[in-house]
Amino acid sequence: MTTITQESTNQALQNAVNDWLDVHWDTANRRPINATEYDERSWLKQVLDAGYCVPSWPKKWFGLGLTMQQSVLIERTFQARKAPGTGRDRYHLGAITLSKMGNTELKREMLPELLTGPICCLLYSEPNAGSDLAGVRTRAELDGDSFVINGQKVWTSDAVSADYGMLLARTDWDVPKHQGLTFFLFPMKQPGVEIRPINQITGESKFNEVFITDARVPRRFVIGDLNEGWRSFQTAIAYERLIMGQGITERKRGAANEGVHPLIALAERTGHLDEPIFRQRIAQAIAYREVNKLNNERAKEEMQSSGGISLMSLSKLAMSRIQHGEAAIATDLLGAEAILDGDSALDSANANFDAAKAYMNSIGGGTDQIQRNIIAEKVLQLPRELDASKGVSFRDMKSNSSAS
Amino acid sequence: MKSLHEDDRSAMRESLSRFLIAEADEATLRRGIDFSQGYDPKLWRQICEMGLTGIAAAEVFGGAGGGAKDVEMVCSQLGRALNPMPFLDSCVIGTGLLTACSSNTHLKHIIENVVSGESIVAIGGNAPFVPLQDSRHNLTIHADHTISGTVSLVLNAATADFILIGITVDDQIKVFIVPTHANVVCTAQQANDPLLRPCAVCFENAAAIELNALTETDLEQARLRGVAALAAWQAGAARALFEITIEYLKTRYQFGRPIGSFQALKHMAADLFLEVESATSAALAAAEAIDEEKLEVARTVALAGFVCTDVFREVAAQAIQLHGGIAYTQEHIAHLYWRRSRAMLPMLGGADKHREDYLKALETAA
Repeated sequence: MTTITQESTNQALQNAVNDWLDVHWDTANRRPINATEYDERSWLKQVLDAGYCVPSWPKKWFGLGLTMQQSVLIERTFQARKAPGTGRDRYHLGAITLSKMGNTELKREMLPELLTGPICCLLYSEPNAGSDLAGVRTRAELDGDSFVINGQKVWTSDAVSADYGMLLARTDWDVPKHQGLTFFLFPMKQPGVEIRPINQITGESKFNEVFITDARVPRRFVIGDLNEGWRSFQTAIAYERLIMGQGITERKRGAANEGVHPLIALAERTGHLDEPIFRQRIAQAIAYREVNKLNNERAKEEMQSSGGISLMSLSKLAMSRIQHGEAAIATDLLGAEAILDGDSALDSANANFDAAKAYMNSIGGGTDQIQRNIIAEKVLQLPRELDASKGVSFRDMKSNSSAS
Repeated sequence: MKSLHEDDRSAMRESLSRFLIAEADEATLRRGIDFSQGYDPKLWRQICEMGLTGIAAAEVFGGAGGGAKDVEMVCSQLGRALNPMPFLDSCVIGTGLLTACSSNTHLKHIIENVVSGESIVAIGGNAPFVPLQDSRHNLTIHADHTISGTVSLVLNAATADFILIGITVDDQIKVFIVPTHANVVCTAQQANDPLLRPCAVCFENAAAIELNALTETDLEQARLRGVAALAAWQAGAARALFEITIEYLKTRYQFGRPIGSFQALKHMAADLFLEVESATSAALAAAEAIDEEKLEVARTVALAGFVCTDVFREVAAQAIQLHGGIAYTQEHIAHLYWRRSRAMLPMLGGADKHREDYLKALETAA
């Protein structure tokens, strides 16, 4: 097999990947060659061993030492053959965070396990710690060689399928709120973990509440240092926001990517396409989306040339006005019909769904208001607002329960 | 058309930026109010010496052989400095139309002089490529190729050497170039922006050369390049004023803290930052679409046309609000940006027209 390096041409890279797939993957039956069925873990193990799971990581850490663009190319080559398992250097938030923040022993022990299993779930938000996430109250107490965890988490997707969760919990109550947190790799499959689905505003049920009662996590599963959890968490959330700005929360509809734009088509169906007010609104909505795409292209160039993230930070905020705006126009185009729902009123059902789903972008992963703070403080370097909890130990802080 | 090499463009951007910071600061800008041109003519001569007036003209005419991306670079820098020189009219639209008719021997010297910057072209009429269109003009063309009548809103006409007239005659666009030295009377019109010099121009059997070689493609190219250049100018101006405003939020103290620490202002700043970057992205995309002759060039230019017009207006308006009382004075520079942003609203059709053009282009493509 030819060795591929950062200097390899795209063609050489694709050839190498295709050669490997020829030997290992049965595209027609969508399973590994010589296997009778698709077993995820054993297939992912093969991908991992070949370095295609996380190609942009160093060789000693399961990768091939390639560039991110080469990693994307490998993923496309896999996709063309309908083979799963690659691109985890961009999507697997748990493995990415562990690789950036974890110590050598934990990475050696757990990265192969994480990379060959399901995506990690995220155990961050709590009923009383949303935008003010550093106020989490889930407690982690050391007992021998493990921590005992008690608390309640919310907005956890994939909680049922995940083997592990990235857990933010409080390990010191006598220091200011950011300083007493620890980030854990938390085993989900154990007694004391109860999962209850949430019925979302969209009618979907992708999120869960997770109730944790006397569950355990080995002491060596701390990611980063004890009481340094806020730093590890920052790394994890930055990746999540980056992914959201690409519009990942959106439902893909067949028509969206080809031919006439869905809003133009809807305006035509509803007989409003020649009305100047609608024409202006539709043009503006489509323009916001096109400009966001142009901004994202410049953001990628900025990242590659200087490592800067100032443009990257904008796309999640931009996506909110795009999604809320498009849903509002669709609703107005439908007029009275928009009160209907269900399979016999698909346009209305879609508009209603999209109007609700837009909040997934403008609240999830940090609200638009938090995102504006981040842009203003981290990118524009405006001064931080006075924090009422600064220097106050978490135990003495005002909270919902003490504010009455 | 080609554009300059990326490295050459970067070098030019560097030196133009340094020049404008040193020679076209706020004090110089304000001194322009007392000049009949609205700017110190010395500044124009320096721009000529740098070869910038010919940036968009081919080498055969003495130009630099640049493309839309190079014009984008120059305009975004001029916009930053709020520079009122007639670059858009004379060096982009005027030069583009004149060089398209280079086979006309009568135009040879005019082209050379306009490219070198020795002569300045002002533009008037109601054709789509005219920056400030006057639909109420009463110009008539006589059989002996002279022109009579009045057209208003011609920027810099009083100090220009030629006036380029674009008008519809029997549903056809006719373009003429008229020297200003005989039978042309310019009357200054008062502008809201103290740096702009609009004129009502009265022709009395003035000698006119018709640019009859112009094709529809030539006219559309001139318009597209004009819209893209204007967009770049607006994007540059919006960014400069945004930076001034962010600096103020960091240094102005109230309630014992910088006002930029308040979320009410921070959130406005974050939203404006999105607008400013969007304007730059749109202006760059338009220039690139022109240079690479992309299929969707009309759509991309229309996009830049309304995005940049709206963004400059919004940033200028919010910059005053963010500054508070200090910007409600003429001592502060914000009002000059704000006035210019408003003067640019109707240019080359305005935002709503570009939005409609954008949707039409999308409908046609589908």
